[in-house]
Amino acid sequence: MTARPRGARGAAAAAARWAAVAAVLAFTLFPAYFMVVSAVSERPRSGTDSLLPTSFTLDNFRYVLQEAGFLGYLGNSLAVAALTVAGSSLLALLAAVAVARFRFRLRTTVLIMVLTVQMVPLEALVIPLFLQVRDLRMLNSLLGLSVVYIALALPFAIWMLRGFAAAVPAEVEEAAYIDGASWGRMFWSVLFPLVAPGLVATGIFSFITAWNEFILALTFMNEADRYTVAVGLRQFFGQYTTDWGAVMAASTVITLPVMVFFLIVQRGLVAGLVQGAVKG
Amino acid sequence: MAPPVSTRPAASAAGAPAPPPGRRRRAPLLRAGTRRRALPWLLLAPALAVIAALLLFPLGRVLWLSVQDYGLDNVVSGRPDYIGLDNYAQVLGDRYLWTVALPNTVVFAAVAVAGTVVLGTLVALLLAELRPLVRTVVLGCVLVAWAMPAVSGTYVWVWIFDVDGGLVRQGLEAAGVVGPEGYNWFTDRLAFYAIAALNVIHHGFPFVAVTVLAGLLTVPRELHEAALLDGAGAWQRFWNVTVPTIRPVFAVVTILSTIWDFKVFAQVYLMPGGSGGNREVLNLGVWSYMQSFGQQSYGLGAAIAVLLTLMLLGITVAYLRALFRDEELR
Repeated sequence: MTARPRGARGAAAAAARWAAVAAVLAFTLFPAYFMVVSAVSERPRSGTDSLLPTSFTLDNFRYVLQEAGFLGYLGNSLAVAALTVAGSSLLALLAAVAVARFRFRLRTTVLIMVLTVQMVPLEALVIPLFLQVRDLRMLNSLLGLSVVYIALALPFAIWMLRGFAAAVPAEVEEAAYIDGASWGRMFWSVLFPLVAPGLVATGIFSFITAWNEFILALTFMNEADRYTVAVGLRQFFGQYTTDWGAVMAASTVITLPVMVFFLIVQRGLVAGLVQGAVKG
Repeated sequence: MAPPVSTRPAASAAGAPAPPPGRRRRAPLLRAGTRRRALPWLLLAPALAVIAALLLFPLGRVLWLSVQDYGLDNVVSGRPDYIGLDNYAQVLGDRYLWTVALPNTVVFAAVAVAGTVVLGTLVALLLAELRPLVRTVVLGCVLVAWAMPAVSGTYVWVWIFDVDGGLVRQGLEAAGVVGPEGYNWFTDRLAFYAIAALNVIHHGFPFVAVTVLAGLLTVPRELHEAALLDGAGAWQRFWNVTVPTIRPVFAVVTILSTIWDFKVFAQVYLMPGGSGGNREVLNLGVWSYMQSFGQQSYGLGAAIAVLLTLMLLGITVAYLRALFRDEELR
């Protein structure tokens, strides 16, 4: 009711608000827009060529996927990501149930270790991991890369799943025991179905980790047919000229799956990151 | 610890630290008390083993490598040469660290964090003002920036700022700011990092916006109304009501952004000159990588990486304090 009298000021505020929304949208969406328009333009030699879509062609995509071998990189990345998701989800589920449903000595220590280890820079890990993987003769092995990615994705996956596992009310678990269920039975029939949505979110997060990772893939994979998408993208950079249409087409191909998955999990992702800081 | 008494469940329950209420009723299972105590560790074992083998052990090994003279011949023979703290002396005595690599890391992180947090907070305040439907739509668009992988996002910014045909170059040339001979801003350290900061802020602010928005929505309306009655302006209400209420949220987003921005790698490495072509633009992470895999002196690279890790560890301790100040871990 109090807002009524200030009509002119209210209108000005609304206009300012819409202007701000427009500015935010322009800033956030521009790179993605520019990427896609460049990707479907015919040989964009300069930026202004692809500011507005003047031509439409899928030649860049065809070139990237068929001739430049990007299809192979996609296959590698998918294989690595699938192994990472499977491995990290399974291990994180067990660990998250342990820290969320049990009280035991050193529990807080384990949690703090899981949190802290996420801060370790990959630049520090890449040197010893390279030597380790090399000694095991696992360089250029997709399996070797996946195992390392499982370790990378694990701390955050545990941290995120912990929230989902802790949210299951104790009464539900007790009811299963009263019905005579063993712990294992309770885990599969009660806890697992209730935590499954969290598992989907965690799995997608692990997928994104594996899909986007750059420095380790760059170091471990030095045979071209073993490149993942993040490393394969560098192929399109010529010594003197860069085929920007091809680079942007490949970038679009890399970005799409991440974007789709990201929109699915964003709520859980935020909740997992700031747990303990925001209420709930 | 009392011996396993099967007839008096209460006796053994008293010994266990505060069991959840429901468990006391399951008298038959209490005999398996030890098994239950081992169960969480059994569940944790595989995850802890993987973390120990692939994160903690390498972390120890990088520390060990940093006191070795470890070159290509050591990689082949597997024999290390212990040289004590020589690598650290060499790194810390290098002018390059103090004039190039460290400022590139710290100043860049400070600028990027400030930009990310300020922009993210402004966007969050804007989102909080919008109607729910509009808010959801705008939020979805903002997330697009977050979802863009660092690798492809970096290439898009490089393309926008491309020296020959980039959008910015052509715009500036049309406006008469840059002559037809052009200007290579990727060779200029300040311009290079300005572009990197733009990239990192663009990629990082959605996280801050989403998180701060979640915090803003928990601030009770009554607080704002009371402040309004007391005649507080918009800025005063933000500074004296909103900020203190969601201070922990600000602490978390600031520290997490700091950690992320300290260890940017792909965003620098993939820019022209960022992979060693231009020594002026390396940060600690890329410098460490170039020393190790470019110059094959893994010991020196490890020492740089250890310094970076120590800095991040300091920030992490601050993070944990901020996280656990208000609430105990559930």
